[in-house]
Amino acid sequence: MTAQVWRTDFAPTTAELNACVACGLCLPHCPTFRLTGLETASPRGRLAAMRGVAEGVIAIDDEFEEAMSFCLNCRACEAVCPSMVPFGRAMEGARAEVAAAHPTVGRGLRHFVLGRVIPNRGIVGVATDLIKLLQKLGPSLLREGPAQRSLRGLRGLQARPRRAQIVNGPRVGLLVGCVMDKWFGNVNQAAIELLDLAGYQVVTPASQTCCGALAVHDGNIKSGRRLAAANVAAFASADVVVATAAGCSAHLKGYDKLNSEGAALAAKTLDITELIARLIAEGALPRLPVTGEAVVVHDPCHLRHAQRITSAPREILAAAGLATVDADPDGICCGAAGIYSLTHPEASHQLGERIAALAASAATTTLIASANPGCEMQLRSHLPKGYRVAHPVELYLESIRSSSDHVLL
Amino acid sequence: MYDELIAALDAERVLQTPLALHVYGRDAGVYRGQPAVVVLPETTAEVVRVVEIANRHEVPVVARGAGTGLAAGAVATEGGIVLVTTKMNRIEEIDPDNRTALVGPGVINLDLSKAAEPYALHFAPDPSSQAACTIGGNVANNSGGPHCLAEGSTVNHVLALEVVLADGSVAMVGSAAPDPIGLDLRGLLVGSEGTLAIVTKILVRLLPNPPDVRTLLCSFDSIADAAATVSGIIAAGIVPAALEMMDQAITRAVENWLHAGLPTDATAILLAEVVGDTAAVEAEAKVMAEVAHAHHARDVRMAADDSERALLWKGRKAAFGAVAQAAPNYYLHDTVVPRTRLVETMAKVYEIGARHELQMLNVFHAGDGNLHPLMVFDASVPGMTEKVQQAADELVAACVAVGGVLSGEHGIGREKRDLMPLMFSATDLDAQARIKETFDPHNRFNPGKVLPTGARCFDLGASVPPGAWV
Repeated sequence: MTAQVWRTDFAPTTAELNACVACGLCLPHCPTFRLTGLETASPRGRLAAMRGVAEGVIAIDDEFEEAMSFCLNCRACEAVCPSMVPFGRAMEGARAEVAAAHPTVGRGLRHFVLGRVIPNRGIVGVATDLIKLLQKLGPSLLREGPAQRSLRGLRGLQARPRRAQIVNGPRVGLLVGCVMDKWFGNVNQAAIELLDLAGYQVVTPASQTCCGALAVHDGNIKSGRRLAAANVAAFASADVVVATAAGCSAHLKGYDKLNSEGAALAAKTLDITELIARLIAEGALPRLPVTGEAVVVHDPCHLRHAQRITSAPREILAAAGLATVDADPDGICCGAAGIYSLTHPEASHQLGERIAALAASAATTTLIASANPGCEMQLRSHLPKGYRVAHPVELYLESIRSSSDHVLL
Repeated sequence: MYDELIAALDAERVLQTPLALHVYGRDAGVYRGQPAVVVLPETTAEVVRVVEIANRHEVPVVARGAGTGLAAGAVATEGGIVLVTTKMNRIEEIDPDNRTALVGPGVINLDLSKAAEPYALHFAPDPSSQAACTIGGNVANNSGGPHCLAEGSTVNHVLALEVVLADGSVAMVGSAAPDPIGLDLRGLLVGSEGTLAIVTKILVRLLPNPPDVRTLLCSFDSIADAAATVSGIIAAGIVPAALEMMDQAITRAVENWLHAGLPTDATAILLAEVVGDTAAVEAEAKVMAEVAHAHHARDVRMAADDSERALLWKGRKAAFGAVAQAAPNYYLHDTVVPRTRLVETMAKVYEIGARHELQMLNVFHAGDGNLHPLMVFDASVPGMTEKVQQAADELVAACVAVGGVLSGEHGIGREKRDLMPLMFSATDLDAQARIKETFDPHNRFNPGKVLPTGARCFDLGASVPPGAWV
């Protein structure tokens, strides 16, 4: 293999590409292969294409770019790969190569938005106000389509002021995320209150920023590294770091792949569902009586596949007194996948329809739990009116608050 | 040709870019062969049009499902059109009363069993790649799998086929009746590896799910004890649903990924499963455990529930993929030897590996003597591929020498084509070549596969005396 074809230090490595023996066990788990039946839209095919580039027989051209960008990076293939190919990492490397080899105006704009705008809380705040306005006017202005669906996905979102009490427990740093505070304020607030209750000292350093997952998935490694470095510094004194979005916790856990200083933060990161489930198991947080209500559990890819976490959200919901029903035993991506709904609206929509149909038919309940904001919005976009989609920790805190026959701790 | 194909299908389903041709240039095995064009038909009529176009342009047609084959059966080693069936993936009907299903060739094996689950039915052939491989591919290779020990391979579960013949006509072979009347072309086409016809619809038999199951995991300190246990279980009159062996190297690779609690310190493990009524499976499991203990098993563990059982099988079925942890390439054969010769053959297999300084891993269908000796290597090391090929040839010869056969289930493809004379006389091969000629006189379908060059007697040239009747 001739490695000099690659332009960046983030390119797929020979070891990563060699790890694939082409057995094909990933194929049925890949949403885009399921949609198209195309080898070029499968994990094995994408790795073969990357290997083709490394071998000098495939060019980094428009076709290669589309083959890489059509991937949702849901990493379902990674979870089922017996050869343990680090597919998500290789895909990020390939996208960095596409960006380096093939600068385009569109990508430059995306890099600017994902690397600079989204991490900027002031701009997100203004944008949120604009969205609120659009939501009021939207139905009359927009035809049914991706934009209309996106607005629907943002229904019912709200910002909440964060409040953290200082107590003398372990220091847990909360990554508040680029949009979690503005759009999913309830989730961050629930996380803080629950950790408070369990005796943790929650810190939300002001110098923290967006985790950088969206930028890195788009091949913008420079921004990804800059954002990672800021977070590494911001959370240096925390014992544990949690994120309330599965996409963010998965990305933080991969900081060691971005730069060497990232390893410590990667090692102390937990998804909020992991930590809360652990605290419930330890008895630091209560198990509430069974309510008789059911909740359909949707597994975000970056929780289920990237972090292999499936029991934690179910344990939290069970502790909330709810009976859990699986939305999709196959764990196929809902189509949200960061900005995928914007770059590939048709494939995203098909996957959204699929998961909404599964979630709606799984049980008679209209309550759905999902631990990632992108998935929550995608579900809201595709479910009929009357359904509620919420994060497991939100539902758990609600149960605690409404539980009158239970003495808290 | 490209324009005609686009007119026959549509532009999105005719691929001719370098990237597409590159990724369709291989299956899960080691051979490579780049097609001139890749097509993805959705209907029988579209397959007919593709075959007609191929005939006009005199190019090969190679059918391909999920590309999980190991013998290059779906690799266009002689160029031409690769016809991918992944879009012919409709389960058209499940008939629970007659226990049959009508499916497109691109339906994934496990998807059919999942779809049949509400009726407590399943499709019996369960190759290790069943989560990914297509039923069309199963038909082409007469695929087996762990549970074919008791239930037989694909040919026992196919009732009828709709096929496109080499002249573009559509024929139906077999029928819903279990015992075919007339010449059994269905039996002939199953396992023909795409060399005789293109399968476009398949009527399969579904089996009722067993009422109960017991799965034992037995660990041993020697391969010989494990192999003797296999013979012992069969000799005790038990027909297990599956009886699988994994050696230490493969067990370690799988456990490293799966964390199923497999005993990585054992030299060999056996996975033994019995199905049937509760009383029967309990009695049989007890006997199997006794046989294992009699052959010095260090531990016999029973899967406590369905999830543990599923985990054990997941480990077994992912074994091939897991070997990439050891080296980037692997090569394996799937020879079958008589169960009574397992112990000595296994010793021979490891001896060949050691002599060539190749790491040899073994995971196989022990119950029917279907070996999968697997060598891992790095193909980028100069001379390595030749060394592996040499060892592989010796392996096959050793297995055939003890009364074994070339291939249990993976097919001959390109890979084992030139080894066919080890098994068959010139007359045997000629008989097969005549069948091929009858179905496909212009050698349009999957040329260069299964039958070695010269299979037909008149190909032998000088060896046939002048004036002889051939």
